[in-house]
Amino acid sequence: MTETMVPVGGPEASARRIGVYVCHCGGNISDYVDVEKVIADIRGAGDVVVAKTAMFTCSDATQQEIVADIQANELDGLVVASCSPKLHTYTFRGVAARAGLNPYEYTQVNIREQCSWVHTDDTQAATAKATALVNAGIGRTRHTTPLVPLVVETLPHTLVIGGGIAGLRAAIGLADIGLKVTLVERELALGGWVKDLGTMYPHNRNGRELIDSLIAGVKRRPAITVLTGAEVVGKAGSFGNYRMSVRIGDPGSASIEVAVGSVVVATGFDAYAPADGEFGFGLDGVVTLPDFKAMVDSATGPLMWKGRKVRSVAYVYCVGSRGTGGCAGQACSRYCCAATVQTAVQLSGLDPAIGQYHLYRDMRTYGKFEPLYTEARKAGSVFLKFDNDMPPAVETRPDGRLTVTVTDLLTERTELAIPVDLVVLVTAMAPRANDELVKVLKLPAGADGFFNEIHPKLRPVETVVDGVLIAGACQGPKTSSESVASGLAAVTQSAAVLKKGYTELDPLVALVVPEACTACGDCLTACPYDAIAMTQEGDRHWAVISAAGCKGCGGCVPMCPESAIDLLGYTDAEVTSMIESLAEVPA
Amino acid sequence: MAAVTAPVDPGLYGDIRRFGGGDVTACFSCGTCTATCPLVAEDGTFPRRIIRYAQVGMKDALLSSKELWTCYQCGECSDSCPTKADPSEFMAAARRYAIAGYDRTRVARTMYTQPILATIIAVALALFFALFMYSAHGPQSGETLAIFTFIPEELIHNTGIVVMIVVLLAGIAGVATMARAIARREGVSLRSVVGGRAALGRTARALRFAVAREAIGQARFREDCDADQQALPLLRRRWLIHALVVWGFIGLLGATGLDYGLALVGIKETGAPVPLWYPVRLLGTVAGAALLYGTTFLIIDRYRAATRAVRSSTTADWMLLVLLWVTGATGFALELELYLPSAPAWGYWVFLLHVAVALELVLLAPFMKLAHAVYRPVALFFVALARDSAREGVTR
Repeated sequence: MTETMVPVGGPEASARRIGVYVCHCGGNISDYVDVEKVIADIRGAGDVVVAKTAMFTCSDATQQEIVADIQANELDGLVVASCSPKLHTYTFRGVAARAGLNPYEYTQVNIREQCSWVHTDDTQAATAKATALVNAGIGRTRHTTPLVPLVVETLPHTLVIGGGIAGLRAAIGLADIGLKVTLVERELALGGWVKDLGTMYPHNRNGRELIDSLIAGVKRRPAITVLTGAEVVGKAGSFGNYRMSVRIGDPGSASIEVAVGSVVVATGFDAYAPADGEFGFGLDGVVTLPDFKAMVDSATGPLMWKGRKVRSVAYVYCVGSRGTGGCAGQACSRYCCAATVQTAVQLSGLDPAIGQYHLYRDMRTYGKFEPLYTEARKAGSVFLKFDNDMPPAVETRPDGRLTVTVTDLLTERTELAIPVDLVVLVTAMAPRANDELVKVLKLPAGADGFFNEIHPKLRPVETVVDGVLIAGACQGPKTSSESVASGLAAVTQSAAVLKKGYTELDPLVALVVPEACTACGDCLTACPYDAIAMTQEGDRHWAVISAAGCKGCGGCVPMCPESAIDLLGYTDAEVTSMIESLAEVPA
Repeated sequence: MAAVTAPVDPGLYGDIRRFGGGDVTACFSCGTCTATCPLVAEDGTFPRRIIRYAQVGMKDALLSSKELWTCYQCGECSDSCPTKADPSEFMAAARRYAIAGYDRTRVARTMYTQPILATIIAVALALFFALFMYSAHGPQSGETLAIFTFIPEELIHNTGIVVMIVVLLAGIAGVATMARAIARREGVSLRSVVGGRAALGRTARALRFAVAREAIGQARFREDCDADQQALPLLRRRWLIHALVVWGFIGLLGATGLDYGLALVGIKETGAPVPLWYPVRLLGTVAGAALLYGTTFLIIDRYRAATRAVRSSTTADWMLLVLLWVTGATGFALELELYLPSAPAWGYWVFLLHVAVALELVLLAPFMKLAHAVYRPVALFFVALARDSAREGVTR
């Protein structure tokens, strides 16, 4: 680590004591940015007390050195110029906190992703840009103020929306860790899709029995209140203290209010409904997988269709998935290959002589389900692979049976005409039509219509709405075991915020200066989180922003014609100072 | 492939399975069998494509596949199959199915798919021929073995001729069915086979390949099956044993025909005693020895399941071997009896058995495994034509 004295004098005089650290990132930065020159060129205002470079600022040794510097020099501001704030904001906020400096007095400057990595062709300019960015960081830090997290008390009560396998299991899990649960189900009966299923893969367990055992578990737990035939129609309050309106009965019926700390959304999926004529849908003998599975589940011997024995069946896979036949759905529905193959094995057991033709694009009996595929082949199922450019066609024959025509990639692209009694369309999991609920919860959905998590790997059940968690197939196609797993993940996340009894929120929220507010109301329409409300005292009206409801997006700030709103951590003063620093880019 | 839509017969695979052996339901079309097949250089789709036809139910495509008959069941594919399917044995079953498929009388189907009934038919047919001959029997001389006094030579000849005609008609019908199917698939017209000098030249080359090189020369059989038998003495190798049966059978057929021919032109009476070196007799003796040696070891190897090709056996396999062996063994027994000082009574019964079984063997030929002796060269003829036109296509 090298240290350079920073010349006194600069844009404006400042009484701050700022430490600046510029990182080599082991060469990731210093191969293209002359970090020593950056240190030499930054312009302090007599306020940069320490300026150093380091091979890896994130290393333990450097972190300790920064802590020591902060304490020895009584620093009140910290700037680290290294990588993306996505990577190390919390690292250096932690360094500041350990040194007794308020973490929000720290500014991260990204000179790797935004500088060295993208300007490998011009090291001089890269160095100049890095210098400018560091100056901007110093500029912001001159105006930082200490901030403290908001502490919000939380209610030990969770609302679970959806009484399918994920919601039921989550309700039991929540009750078992000592939280109260209100389980809301739109239908009159609990159990969702799984209650209508017979044998399920991979353990040949009966769906009805699985649900019965879960319902019995729910009944045994007095902490769980079940509301069936009920819908969530309103949400007020903020994280930890939501007031949810639940309507029981038909539209127009009265609502009750349930106060909860968190919400688990487990609303499941709809089976994709093929369009008329999509792979013969609408013709006699063309059925969807859910309907066919019900037929097989209730059969005790060979299948019958319209009084005739079913001698052969064709399955058309990926209907509604992966753009098959030009459909809108692009996702793989994930559960259907294994479900279809399992159903075929089940049917072979009922009728070993039956001919079963599987028209698939790619066989995805992934993980532990692969043996099902082998089992199906051994039981006589024939697998034909089609290309999406040549999708199968279904027609009715003069004798009333069906013919499926498919170009089989595994038989030299021969076009085959298969005579069958039934065609099963292996339909996708589609997002449930839930517009009302989406509006109430303000849940973000992806382009595919399923709810979005914050991070698919690291925060898989949390949503951008604090305290609202998603579980099961409302998030995207899932098998029942995956749905249960995500339901239990939602239990853990609820526990993480509710069991402590309080939660800390990032203090980077917007604040209204009441004196400047003219109550024009523009900010109310700008807030996507309903965090702004009008208040009044006598004749004076002004806007108030709920700190617990505000996500710090900053959407209201530029809307205010009076500049009466400031976003903590990104105040007008901080941002203006950054812009001014950048505007004076050295020649 | 053709742009025409192929009809699917959902029952095809189950039907082929009735012809024994080779469960390929586990097959997921990976093509490892094709990669390890010695035929891959010529046809990069065998045997996977044939298995696919069977799985999917493409009956016409299966019956018009000449490639079925290029395989000599070396067994490499079954050894390498990752799903433990048995493509090699399945090809054998598919060939049995094809033999039945080309036979419109459905006799072959019965012989293959109903082993008990087939055995009863075989025994009954031999009994019929024996009783038929015996019904016209004469005295059994005790001094010399006067077999044609016992059973009139005329009766044997005439029965033989009738049997031959039946066999020829059935054989021609079967070959025509097969050839028409393959020719249509391959786009081979009658004109392209016999129309003009170039066509005739191609045909002659193809015939030379199918008949001289492969049927008589057993060239490919030797190449494909000798690889893992180098350690065995020559006389115990599968290809030579099979070749000896082929050569013996052809030799005996030739000797019998010549003997009859010599009688017709009046050079030699049938049954007239001739020395061992007499050409026709010498041919018959050598051929008979080859046949008997070959069938004996085929039986031993099959009993011991000595090679991959005979890992499993059907009634049809045993029936052919037994009929061949009995024909050969009784023939030799007769030769030996001629040198005995006096004619034993059992000699006449051996003779009756020989005639009955030989007639049965010929009569059943189109309806049992022996039919491969004709179907395989026909298919190989088309293989040679295709190879020829591919070569022309390259040089053109």
